[in-house]
Amino acid sequence: MLVLLEAFKAIKEKHVEAKRIVEEATAQAEKLMNEAEQKTLKVYEEAYKATLSQAEQKAMNLKRKAAKEAEHELSMFLSTAEDKAKGIEAKAKKNFKTAVDYVLNLVLP
Amino acid sequence: MESTRVITEMIVEEAKKSAEHILQEAEKSAEDTLKKQKQRGVQRANEAAKTLLKKAESEAELNKLNSIANSKIKANWVILSKKETWINNVLNEAKNELNILTQSKKYLPILEKLITEAGVILGGKGLEVLLNAQDSALPLKLDNIAKEIGEKTGFKTKLKLSTEKPEVIGGAIVRTANGKVIMDNSFDDILRRREKELRSEIAKILF
Repeated sequence: MLVLLEAFKAIKEKHVEAKRIVEEATAQAEKLMNEAEQKTLKVYEEAYKATLSQAEQKAMNLKRKAAKEAEHELSMFLSTAEDKAKGIEAKAKKNFKTAVDYVLNLVLP
Repeated sequence: MESTRVITEMIVEEAKKSAEHILQEAEKSAEDTLKKQKQRGVQRANEAAKTLLKKAESEAELNKLNSIANSKIKANWVILSKKETWINNVLNEAKNELNILTQSKKYLPILEKLITEAGVILGGKGLEVLLNAQDSALPLKLDNIAKEIGEKTGFKTKLKLSTEKPEVIGGAIVRTANGKVIMDNSFDDILRRREKELRSEIAKILF
């Protein structure tokens, strides 16, 4: 009878210990979950910022590329225009006297 | 006693297993939560990035088109400005030659012709002739000119040299005696009147 009682007592003690182990683990788990909850906003913001920052860089590169292309176009247009202007000047020099004579003929009776 | 020991060890062992499982699940869940938040952040940022890039693309394209349009305007301006300079050069040279002409002997008959033309247009009769200071001193045969105007208009014409001395290159301004009708045949006004037509014709000849 005494042996049986001691056995029950030992079992009961271990039950208490088992309960404490599970409770401690549960508390630890809750702590882990809470810490994770607290980190979520930071993780979200960091991921958001990092991804957006890449996009912003890409957008800036796009604009820079377009500006460079436009600059290239400008120098091409100006170069063509300067060539044309040279042609115009050459023709104008050649036909200058004819044009002046035309004006004089129109003014003089 | 042995069976009791086995049972109590089992109880503790089970509890440890449960505790381990609880912690593993918690760790997994925490990891999942953070992973999901990270994914959410990336996803939201990607949505924002999509809009940002679309806007940047449109802005870049628009800026590029604007710059190209401005470039074309600048390039055209270079050409037009060159043409404009040469047209002005022609007109200035013509004025210069007219100035030289007014100093030559060829000028007098030209001036007489200009006065005659103006007088005929005004229909003759009493007319006043306005010349610049230099031309007023020329030996003009106003009576002969008046006679020619009279013949052409059918009205007896009298020409009077005005004391007014307009500042013109040359040519004549003729007005009726009452001053109501004026025919400006000065070189300056002929050039001014026909400037638009002249510029267009000069451009055709030059270029």
